[in-house]
Amino acid sequence: MQSFSHAICLGLKGSAVAAIAFVYAPLGAFAHGAHIQARTASAVEIQASYDTGEPMAAAQVHVYAPENPQIPLLTGVTDESGRFVFVPDQPGNWEISVRQAGHGDLTVVPVAEGGGLTEGFTNDIGLTPLQRVIIAGAVTWGCVGTALYFWRGKR
Amino acid sequence: MPTPNMISRMTIAATLPLMLWACSSETSAPENSDPVTEESTEETTATVEDATEGNTGELEIRANGEDFVRQGFVTKDGWQIEFDHLYVTLDEVTAYQSDPPYDPEAGGKPEATETVSGDEPITVDLAEGGTDAEPILVKTLAAPTGQYNALSWKMVPAESGPAAGQTLWIEGIATQAEDTVDFTLKLDPTLGFVCGDYVGDGRKGILEGTGKADLEATFHFDHLFGDGEAAPDDAINTGALGFDPLAAIAQDGTLDVTMADLQAQLSPEDYDMLMSILPSLGHVGEGHCQETELPSS
Repeated sequence: MQSFSHAICLGLKGSAVAAIAFVYAPLGAFAHGAHIQARTASAVEIQASYDTGEPMAAAQVHVYAPENPQIPLLTGVTDESGRFVFVPDQPGNWEISVRQAGHGDLTVVPVAEGGGLTEGFTNDIGLTPLQRVIIAGAVTWGCVGTALYFWRGKR
Repeated sequence: MPTPNMISRMTIAATLPLMLWACSSETSAPENSDPVTEESTEETTATVEDATEGNTGELEIRANGEDFVRQGFVTKDGWQIEFDHLYVTLDEVTAYQSDPPYDPEAGGKPEATETVSGDEPITVDLAEGGTDAEPILVKTLAAPTGQYNALSWKMVPAESGPAAGQTLWIEGIATQAEDTVDFTLKLDPTLGFVCGDYVGDGRKGILEGTGKADLEATFHFDHLFGDGEAAPDDAINTGALGFDPLAAIAQDGTLDVTMADLQAQLSPEDYDMLMSILPSLGHVGEGHCQETELPSS
């Protein structure tokens, strides 16, 4: 299969929990008072990259809620690492498209009750061959180091 | 008595192949990699012929060569290309309501709860109409309501018509400075594409009530010729054939060749590149497809 740089992959980085530790409660009632309420929420983070591994930075993101796949509930842009975070507010299949200069992809994230990812859902973020070799090398070196450690301990 | 050095070497020899193998495994690809042509017996198939009223609308299947074909473009090697005709013949066009949504990167086939399909090959001219023409209508299918989030089709040699015997008929004129080449490329591979959801401006394939929706088979001919507006080292250009190799085998400003002619006249490297590009032409908007059949050589 021919591989072109405009082929992209959307990797799901997992469900993150944004925890904010306090609630600000105003002591008095003022006409121009501002209120900030805090809560914890389960968020979904995606990361978009080209086949080459280059992040899709500042790419256009559309997030479609399960109840309305026609109109995006959220729009935004990815950060410099190709990441985008949103908080799903209902269970179901959330569809996220990421596009940039004629290149794009769409992924579906199944969200369970409570905001977490549906059990059993996996999402291959597409490791490059170099990344795979580095991981294999690191694991191998770990095995060697462990073997040497125990060998030295017996002498 | 083994030394630590010997143990280190033995450990590396024993574990490295295992680790490399383990890391090469796809974590999310389904095990089933059968081509999509084998339909599940549990699927509900609807065609124009057995359409029922009430919860059935119209699903238009369109083919789009994009502005590259309608308006012309400059190749990676500086040739201005204008197309007179670009015939493609589509067969077994099938739209799916896939649950879970189909991922062409993972392979396999859509797990469809509903399918609608056309049952005969249809030849369309992607260059038809003006520079702002709509994508070409291939077929209108009666379809149950729902979200059609996967599309597959084959490309086969036309049985009759202006492109008879050919899967792809690419006819046009290429100019560069004082040089002009009238070209007709007649290619007859059999190709197959299985694609996920459309990716582009807006959504497609969402059929509500008795309304109308459309799906699009999109063809990216910049993969073949490259894009003069992209950087030379952009993969869209490094992976493209361009037009120089074709211009080099033109005779007196004319190139009228079949795939067999191209195999005989192009360098083996250029011909292999051409054959590797053809299965990547099919998309759904910007969304990628799985190619189920490779061109015969």
